[in-house]
Amino acid sequence: MSDTVSSFAARHRRSLLLAPALIFLAVFFVMPLFDNSLRSFAPEEGSGFTLARYAAFLTDRFYLGVIVETVVLSAAVAAISVVIAYPVAYVLVRKSGRFSGMIVFMLIAPLLTSIIMRTFGWQVLFARRGLVNQWLVQDLGILDAPLRWLNTPGLAIAALVHVLVPFAVLSIASVLQGVDRRLEEGALMLGASRWRAFREVTLPLTMDGIGTGAILVFMIANGSFVTLVLLGGGFQTLPLLIYQQFNTTRDFALASTMSTILLVIAVGCLWLQLRLVRRQGV
Amino acid sequence: MRLTDILLWLFTAAFFVFMLLPILVVVVISFTSAGYAAFPIPGWSMKWFARIFEYQPFIDSLIVSLELAVVATVASCLLGIPAALYLARSRSGWATAITTFLLSPLSMPMIVIGFASLFFLSALGFGVSFLALCIVHTVICLPYVIRTVTAVYRGISPAYEEAAMILGASRFTTFREVTLPLIRPGIAAGCLFSFLTSFDNLPVSYFFGSAQTNTLPVVMLAYMEHQFDPSIAALSTLQLLLAVVALIVADRLYGIEKMTVAT
Repeated sequence: MSDTVSSFAARHRRSLLLAPALIFLAVFFVMPLFDNSLRSFAPEEGSGFTLARYAAFLTDRFYLGVIVETVVLSAAVAAISVVIAYPVAYVLVRKSGRFSGMIVFMLIAPLLTSIIMRTFGWQVLFARRGLVNQWLVQDLGILDAPLRWLNTPGLAIAALVHVLVPFAVLSIASVLQGVDRRLEEGALMLGASRWRAFREVTLPLTMDGIGTGAILVFMIANGSFVTLVLLGGGFQTLPLLIYQQFNTTRDFALASTMSTILLVIAVGCLWLQLRLVRRQGV
Repeated sequence: MRLTDILLWLFTAAFFVFMLLPILVVVVISFTSAGYAAFPIPGWSMKWFARIFEYQPFIDSLIVSLELAVVATVASCLLGIPAALYLARSRSGWATAITTFLLSPLSMPMIVIGFASLFFLSALGFGVSFLALCIVHTVICLPYVIRTVTAVYRGISPAYEEAAMILGASRFTTFREVTLPLIRPGIAAGCLFSFLTSFDNLPVSYFFGSAQTNTLPVVMLAYMEHQFDPSIAALSTLQLLLAVVALIVADRLYGIEKMTVAT
């Protein structure tokens, strides 16, 4: 446009397109979270500002343990997911050929099912007289008596991995797709073994995919509670405690404190994720 | 085939058994003739699907969930498409920051969004109502529409719109006749994700439960805490069927590849 003044006006008129979404999220997303944090700083009586709840939270052994357990559980789920996801992503990108469509479909299909459906499946498979115990005791004869699986930490972790591992596969696969195969072939030609070429060329080049996948899984695991409510496992995590506070204890200020801590962890993860994405130059 | 390749394929096969077995088991159980949920099943029957329609809370909450998913998706489109149109054509630093902000509800723990919104919306006077549910669901669905439409629109050359304008079309005509048809796959993908996300949501809907506002997942969770019968399996199977049909329809209309560009 020749007239700079009108182009300036037009540009600013265009930015009005952003207004509805920005205002909506400012009011109904930022304000509730802000309001929630305020509640955690409000004293029991009167008005003012107190850090007492955070001080109590961070000095109490039980609550400190809950924070540690939340982070350790999510980290474990993230680590297991990434380790399982890598070979699958590798097969999908490098080996699958004409099966790649089918693999993507099988990866996406579980994402379309509800958490309730998957949990129900786990409960049936691992019931005392369920399929897994039947295999282990009668068909394979590995065990003498059926094992108790439900309400064990292992099964809860497996169920969380089941929900989140597709995200790790997709993150790693998208980075692996961008790695030039010739780099690995070059290493092979120069005499490296296949394992060494993988370890020293391909793996370092896909570290960003592993990073984004792990953070994504960690982030979602950190906030999830439905799986833990239904499958037990004896975990005491922040979301689970918020759920209990809301249902039974009804100490809403304490629940606000816990959700604010959870929120801070989430914002930290988001920041890390953005840094990784920037480095990839996407 | 080398040994490592065989091992890799075996691992992948085991992985998909792990991924698909819990789901297939539920689908099979929904057709059981037994009165309890166990696998393998003694015989086939459709009675648990009939049972869904006899249990009024399932039907009522199914209607709430469908209405909610439609409202949240439409609202997300109305708010999200204009924003996406702007963001896709802007490369400045603050546009990136705004995109990050508009997508950030995806990264926040759902339980915190639900808990915080309940108190905030109650203070505003919406309380536990269908309107409150619609607002919170729009918060979590909006990022999907923005993400998919932005990605698709970014891949479309501005030359088409410029050509229309040079040929004398007004801004509105250009939008209606050129832009809108081109970004339709992005809108379709956004609507699909938005609808399925809303329909499946439990951690947010949970906080807004009442006789009038219980969604299907909330009722299923409550049901599961007291009973363990195959009607939950039948409902889950129906839900999966709905999602698969939606995906296939979207694929036929726009092609799944075009839509996954956006994700």
